[in-house]
Amino acid sequence: MSTGASIVGIGRTEWSKDAGRSETQLAAEAILDALGDAGLEAADVDGLVSYTIDPVEETELVRALGTPLVNWSSRVPYGGGGSQGVLLHAMAAVVSGAADVVVAYRAIRARSKSRFGSAQVTGRPTSSHAGTTASQWCTPFGVVTPAAWMSLNAVRYMHASGATSEDFGRAVVQLRAYAATNPWAHFFGRPITLEDHQASRWIAEPAIRLFDCCQETDGAAAIVITRDDRAAHTRAPVAIAAAASCAVFEEEIASNHYTADLAVMDGSVALAERLFSSGISRSDVDVAMIYDAFTPILLMQLEALGFCERGEARHFIADGNLGPSGSLPCNTNGGLIGEGYIHGMNLTLEAVRQLRGQAPNQVAAARTALVSASRTGVLLTGPGTVSP
Amino acid sequence: MCPRCHSTDLGFEAATGRGIVYSYAFLHHPRHPAFDYPVLAALVELDEGVRLMTNLVDVDPLDVRVGLPVEVTFADTAGGGVVPVFRPVSGEPGRGSS
Repeated sequence: MSTGASIVGIGRTEWSKDAGRSETQLAAEAILDALGDAGLEAADVDGLVSYTIDPVEETELVRALGTPLVNWSSRVPYGGGGSQGVLLHAMAAVVSGAADVVVAYRAIRARSKSRFGSAQVTGRPTSSHAGTTASQWCTPFGVVTPAAWMSLNAVRYMHASGATSEDFGRAVVQLRAYAATNPWAHFFGRPITLEDHQASRWIAEPAIRLFDCCQETDGAAAIVITRDDRAAHTRAPVAIAAAASCAVFEEEIASNHYTADLAVMDGSVALAERLFSSGISRSDVDVAMIYDAFTPILLMQLEALGFCERGEARHFIADGNLGPSGSLPCNTNGGLIGEGYIHGMNLTLEAVRQLRGQAPNQVAAARTALVSASRTGVLLTGPGTVSP
Repeated sequence: MCPRCHSTDLGFEAATGRGIVYSYAFLHHPRHPAFDYPVLAALVELDEGVRLMTNLVDVDPLDVRVGLPVEVTFADTAGGGVVPVFRPVSGEPGRGSS
């Protein structure tokens, strides 16, 4: 099953806290890595897609890569929530014939340039280019960080579900266990206990502790997408079985405080409806990547995507379902919390690695992967194990 | 523009200034010098149905809960303006009521 488009290459720079070079250079390096993985060259690329919030200009990027002609380019809004939307755009471009080979990229210096999670009271334009649209209503009241914006939704979710910080902690313990055995991960070799989680300081009480927060990371990721007929001639194609991007009425970006019930991620409900109308069902998903900027939204997505009932995510996690032998091995790279935060695109890379049998925490016979960035997402199906 | 009727005839309406706490959080980190920490942030749903971001004031932290009835008061800003903030409705049961 396929939309007609496949991922044929993935690439990255190192993840770090200080890359020491521009986002443009990071993007170009990651793209060359992905093209090498695909067995393609910069001259083959004729399409580009990234996030509206990404600082790398298409014009400068192609001057670095030496790409002779770009026939199509696009940007996806919604910040990291749009991170999987790049695959929907790329799929539409190659299936329509607007482009033959599309590169999706995200380059970020979330730690060394301007700390992504820091308190900022000025300079956030009221557009998706800044990652949020409603921050002007938050700033006068000191609600000036991503953790702060998200915490209001999380506390409402806790009220509705009965979930506690310890429930969030059990998810983080699993994420950190995965990260501990993933050499790419910031927290490689550093697992934690529930007690460690509960001892980490409050960021936004009673929802978000320090260990519930994703990493501020420097680095870039890239993905090469082409039509299935061309992909069939590459080494390890991963089919895009379904792709969707859902913008729900009154849902804001990051500072999302106006939908009817903040305990429910409406975008994820819509996303699941689109993805699972493809003929693939939830029980077909062998491994899931779920956007975990902060732990509460991992639980909220598990429910909104339909992997458990409302209010049941804490029990689903306590029963070990996110672990390597659970029913839904999840964020097997450690997630954004354990591996790092390339604004969601590193989750896609991990899904591809799983489907190729190349992941450090490999799920046996992983054939179908879900990636959810809450309102955008994909179902990917793999080629089976590929030699590195 | 009104998303329901597409009218552009927008204006202000007087509200009672009463509502309930829809959600809240005590914000500890990261910090900005303009604010005193922890910041007590809240989403308040007014009786008229509007939900807005605000701060809670004159409240014992142990009394803060979803559903707490609150009423508006106004706080000065550093720039010389005022913003609406909320305090528990007088006469409401105090600590332990949740």
